[in-house]
Amino acid sequence: MASPSFLLLLFPSLGWLSVVTSSADPFVHAPHFTGCKSREQVTFSCWWTAGSFQNLTEPGALQMFYWKKNDLTNDWKECPDYSSSVKNECFFNKNNTVIWTTYCVRLSSKSQNITYDELCFELQDIVYPDPPVALNWTLLNVSRSGLNYDIMASWEPPPSADVSVGWLTLVYELQFRRRNSSHWKVLEHEFGTQKSIYGLSTGEEYEVRVHCAMRAFSNFGEFSDAIFVHVSEISSKESTFTVTLVLIFGAVGVAIFLMLIIFSQQQRLMVILLPPVPAPKIKGIDTELLKKGKLNELNFLLSVGGMGGLHPYPPDLYQDESWMEFIELDADEPEPGAKEDNQSSDTQRLLSLGHNNHHTSHGCSHTLSIPDNDYDPELPNQETLMLMAALLSSQPEKVEPCLGNRRSQSNPLALEVLEVPCPRLQAPGLAPEGGERPLVQTQLGGPHSWVNINFYAQVSDVMPAGGVVLSPGQQVRAPENAPTTEEDKKNNGKMEGGEEEREGEEDEEEEERRNKKLPSQLLVMDPEAGGYTTESSGRQIRTPDPSSPGEVYHAFPPPPPYLLHTTPLGDYQSLYILPNSPAQFLPPVLDYTVVQDVDSQHSLLLNPPSPQRSPSCPPQPPSKPLPTMPIGYLTPDLLGNLLP
Amino acid sequence: MNMMQVIQSVVWAVLLWPCLVSLGVPLECKDEQGSIILCASISKEKLLDRVIQHAELIYRVSEESCTLFEEMFVPFPMRSQRNHAGYTCATKAFPIPGSKSEIQQISDKWLLHSVLILVQSWIEPLVYLQTTLDRYDDAPDTLLKKTKWVSEKLLSLEQGVVVLIRKMLDDDMLTTSYYEQGVAPYNLQPEVLESVLRDYTLLSCFKKDAHKMETFLKLLKCRQTDKYSCFLH
Repeated sequence: MASPSFLLLLFPSLGWLSVVTSSADPFVHAPHFTGCKSREQVTFSCWWTAGSFQNLTEPGALQMFYWKKNDLTNDWKECPDYSSSVKNECFFNKNNTVIWTTYCVRLSSKSQNITYDELCFELQDIVYPDPPVALNWTLLNVSRSGLNYDIMASWEPPPSADVSVGWLTLVYELQFRRRNSSHWKVLEHEFGTQKSIYGLSTGEEYEVRVHCAMRAFSNFGEFSDAIFVHVSEISSKESTFTVTLVLIFGAVGVAIFLMLIIFSQQQRLMVILLPPVPAPKIKGIDTELLKKGKLNELNFLLSVGGMGGLHPYPPDLYQDESWMEFIELDADEPEPGAKEDNQSSDTQRLLSLGHNNHHTSHGCSHTLSIPDNDYDPELPNQETLMLMAALLSSQPEKVEPCLGNRRSQSNPLALEVLEVPCPRLQAPGLAPEGGERPLVQTQLGGPHSWVNINFYAQVSDVMPAGGVVLSPGQQVRAPENAPTTEEDKKNNGKMEGGEEEREGEEDEEEEERRNKKLPSQLLVMDPEAGGYTTESSGRQIRTPDPSSPGEVYHAFPPPPPYLLHTTPLGDYQSLYILPNSPAQFLPPVLDYTVVQDVDSQHSLLLNPPSPQRSPSCPPQPPSKPLPTMPIGYLTPDLLGNLLP
Repeated sequence: MNMMQVIQSVVWAVLLWPCLVSLGVPLECKDEQGSIILCASISKEKLLDRVIQHAELIYRVSEESCTLFEEMFVPFPMRSQRNHAGYTCATKAFPIPGSKSEIQQISDKWLLHSVLILVQSWIEPLVYLQTTLDRYDDAPDTLLKKTKWVSEKLLSLEQGVVVLIRKMLDDDMLTTSYYEQGVAPYNLQPEVLESVLRDYTLLSCFKKDAHKMETFLKLLKCRQTDKYSCFLH
């Protein structure tokens, strides 16, 4: 690379002459100088070639003459030393060399009559230093990752160049490349004799070489011998360790995150992953009933409890008709007899019960009692509880065992409750389940407020929303307050989780509400909602759609007190208001009865209420003739579905 | 008698007071080598180092300027025409040794004086070159700046060499403004008609002379540190 540049430097110095000559005949090369070089600015040599002139190749055919500018004489001297070892070379030793002086060399034939080439130069311009020696490298550091390292390459100036004296001031250039690459990376010129190389990769082999030139000149000399630099990869333990650590932490983090998600969304996940299998059920019918084949209960349910749900009764019909429903207090009196008697007795009982706040220990009647010992003391306290109309079980036989003193079983803190039939018969159709279904106890809170309240209310209207408007002959409730009506309902096959407490609370809330609002309002309970209804759910329930479970609308006698009877059914309790007898929904029904049986022709058999009932406890709803019902009220086909 | 001697001594002291003061005054505290010295004398070695630094810088910048000029203005075939026989730089009033052996045999004094002469001979031509380069239409700014810088530094170098001479050679006869008046103005080559080539020649010659200065000074320094090795080879 030095010689081509030197040639470029020398040849134009001949001017256009050489150019013209060469361009004229490219295939014929006249003898010419190939270069003059000095290694240390003390001696220099010149080389020439005979070109394509074959007749001049023998030694001595060409002569070289030179001339120094500062010579006193102006004649050309012949080459002082035709080197013997190299052909066509003339060597000028130190005795003949002067710096800063123009030299001209001429190539001519032996007879000196033909000048083939001429060249002029000054010594300092043709210095091409020898390559540096003792090129070596030392490791500076290795990067943390073990992938890169830095080295410091050091060398010494060529011994021929008298740098210590200051004769030559050299500048060095370092080059390095990867073993397999063909491109040398060039580093900046360096005036010192060492240079650091940064960013080499471990495991790869590198070649490093250096050359030098006189400062302020670009005539770089030959390259030194390349040295090889190699640093083996540091055991990748560190890197793999780091990677492993990172992976572990990442996995732990992801696991924690997933756990958080799972725990926070447990419910939803469970629903998603394990969707609850819908139990087979008929709306309004307790599956237990079906299992056990309690036909009576079934019938009752169908007639009373499941009315709203089972029968696709158009809502309009409900609205148009004003029902009178009666809610009777459970009375101890064996004969159901006259309602009035019952009423009076019930009323009195209720009143008396109301006075005895906490010590009522009546059996079975007039009270909603939660027989279970684990009655929730957190149920609304007595002050807040309202008297809930308790309905006795419509099934006399079921009522029998009920008579125990609910109160005794219940929490002493329990409210004044209207006792209801024994747990076994919490609701008609309620399978006797161990009696663990506590009835919601409602207290006859504010008994004084109840003094003037009739225990029977008449349903004067049914809201589209499902609310029942009761009117004890006096007030008509606004439709919007529909949910405030309480209804006893038979639980029918809605197995919901025990929500007795909620029921109780709901009862009490609704009682309260009722107290505050129209006392004649019924609180309709939604069995499906676990036996009670909230205000909002009540609205839905009120809608007498077939889908809703049986809502029992009871007609109340004009001044009826109403009782709430919550009967747990299955796993839940439903608050329902039992009529004296398991009444069926009859638009203008004044009386109600219980369907005792369904005969072979799938017609309902209504029972007279009293004889089968236990004298003590169960209320004996007066037997009533089966009123005419609208067609479709209890359709045989629907009934057929229920019958075992 | 004693009274008279006292009076005489006092009179002499009064008369010679400036001389006393002048004897005690250190070397002039001017800006030598372009650096600020607060009236503190600088050692010979340090001064020599600084002078050599100046010379190196000047040489490097002159080389860069020459290359720049050559690339910009000089056509390629004529790039090395200065090597041609017809090309020559101005000769100096006194011969400057060319060979290494000769230079090594030169005395320190001669070296310093040669440097001084060289420096002083280029002060004017460089100023001239500056004005010439300004006339160029597309002279690069770097070239102008470099030439300006060189001319400034040359003056500093001159001052430094003068002080160095005074210190090393105890030669006070030279003044800073001294330069050979006899140096003829730069003789242009008769065949060089174009200003471009003239300027190019000027730059090249200056570069060569800067190299001379640097070489001389370095040799001088070598002699200061290790006389024996410097004379070898």
